[in-house]
Amino acid sequence: MARNWLQAYSVLDFIAVGMLLSVIAVSSQKRLESCVRTYVLNSWLLAAFVTVSAFYMGMPHLYIAAALTVLSKCFLIPYFLRKVLRQLRVTHDVEPYISAPLSLLAAFALVVVVFSFVSQGVFVTGVTRNALKIAISIILISLFVMMTRKKAITQVIGLLIMENGLFLAGFSLTYGMPIIAELGVVFDMLMGVIILGLFLTQIKKAFVSVDLDKLTTLKG
Amino acid sequence: MRGGRVESLQFLLIIFFSPLLQGFIKKIKALSQGRVGPGILQPYYDLIRLFKKDMVISETASWIFHAAPFVTFVSVLAASVITPVFSLQGGIFKAGDIIAIIYTLALGRFFMALAGLDAGTGFGGEGSSREATLAIIVEPVLIMAIFTAAIAGGSTSLSILSRSANIFRSPAHVLAFAAFYVALIAETGRVPVDNPDTHLELTMIHEGMVLEYSGPYLALMEWAHFMKQMLLFTIALDLFFPFGMQGGSTALGLAPAPGIYLIKVFIMGVAVALTESTRAKMRFFQLPSLLGGAFVLALLSVITLIMLGG
Repeated sequence: MARNWLQAYSVLDFIAVGMLLSVIAVSSQKRLESCVRTYVLNSWLLAAFVTVSAFYMGMPHLYIAAALTVLSKCFLIPYFLRKVLRQLRVTHDVEPYISAPLSLLAAFALVVVVFSFVSQGVFVTGVTRNALKIAISIILISLFVMMTRKKAITQVIGLLIMENGLFLAGFSLTYGMPIIAELGVVFDMLMGVIILGLFLTQIKKAFVSVDLDKLTTLKG
Repeated sequence: MRGGRVESLQFLLIIFFSPLLQGFIKKIKALSQGRVGPGILQPYYDLIRLFKKDMVISETASWIFHAAPFVTFVSVLAASVITPVFSLQGGIFKAGDIIAIIYTLALGRFFMALAGLDAGTGFGGEGSSREATLAIIVEPVLIMAIFTAAIAGGSTSLSILSRSANIFRSPAHVLAFAAFYVALIAETGRVPVDNPDTHLELTMIHEGMVLEYSGPYLALMEWAHFMKQMLLFTIALDLFFPFGMQGGSTALGLAPAPGIYLIKVFIMGVAVALTESTRAKMRFFQLPSLLGGAFVLALLSVITLIMLGG
């Protein structure tokens, strides 16, 4: 009954499109706090996607993956990010390389590119078949975010969202990896964020700013 | 086809209820801001009073100034006639192509902008220039949002489209509705884009264009504006929330439809009023980023529709 309902109202499609929208929102946001908040939203949606498809396919071990996602990506990682933000005392990404409307359009163009290429070889079937295209779009858009921003912290957020996209892509292809692999990935992400946070504070100490353009001037 | 007697008179609802909708939105706005506000029938009194008054017409005004109120009113009227309001039955809706409706409205807008220039005041020209600039950005948003519904429905005829649209089953329709909503706010001259309540010279767009009008002409212009607002609400409902419109052409099947329609319109009015009271007016030069965002939403809705296969 509930499964028919999920199918009829294409709940999974709604969640995946929500993730795509939140990534596109990040590509035009300037305030770092709202970038972090959108990342949290994106992670909640990812967890919801995993939960709904776990219910849909009757695979209880996926609930653990969802719980891990919520724990790490909705609470721990944002907590560290906010802590780093407070330490660095930056609130805004000063002028990205291209303007907000233009990056919105570029994000849209990436979606079109993904659509026109991925649709040629649809090799995923079942409930998550649409998620693969959206996942690849998310990966490309977050790569684009990393390329066009100057602040190191935005690039970290881009990397994190890219990881969400990869998770979604992997999930839509394999219906979830073994739980030990999930654990390893989550642990890696946590360590990565902590190390990047330390790294950022060191950059801030050495160069006074976290603007990555400044890193091109070498110090002898 | 026998249907089309009563059904083709649906547009009367738009003509006579549009001032009520305006009064209702104003009342909701006032209440949400903690004011008492004018009575809900105030727009009717305003129109009646204006129709009784004399006119003052600028010396530089040409025939365009005299023609514009009629062209504007009639273009909105023509668009209303071919729009299914509360029932999809009716022979005349075979002429009701959604693209025709949007561009019939554009004719009225064109004349309104010309009239703003014609009277020869600075404010009129300012209003016209702003209206034209906005129109360039708003129109693609409207059309792209409509295309989403049109692709899903396989037609550009509103009466066929409304049979298939269902916002709750397709994420593309949600995106398209969001884009359409922003465009609707811009088209009806509401707060983040234009302020309908003031004649403050720096911000007015619609008010700037009709500034030189008085008496019956002003009444026509204002009435056309109310009707356009209700018509756009109707189109949004037709495209995205067509519940209760499928009733048969018997009197009994048709009876609940106008009631359902009015409830839907007034719910939408509440939404618009709340949007208006919770937002601040944007600077004119910030508008392209708002509308650009809406445009990207509309584009995304089309691509999502194609990507997810309807």
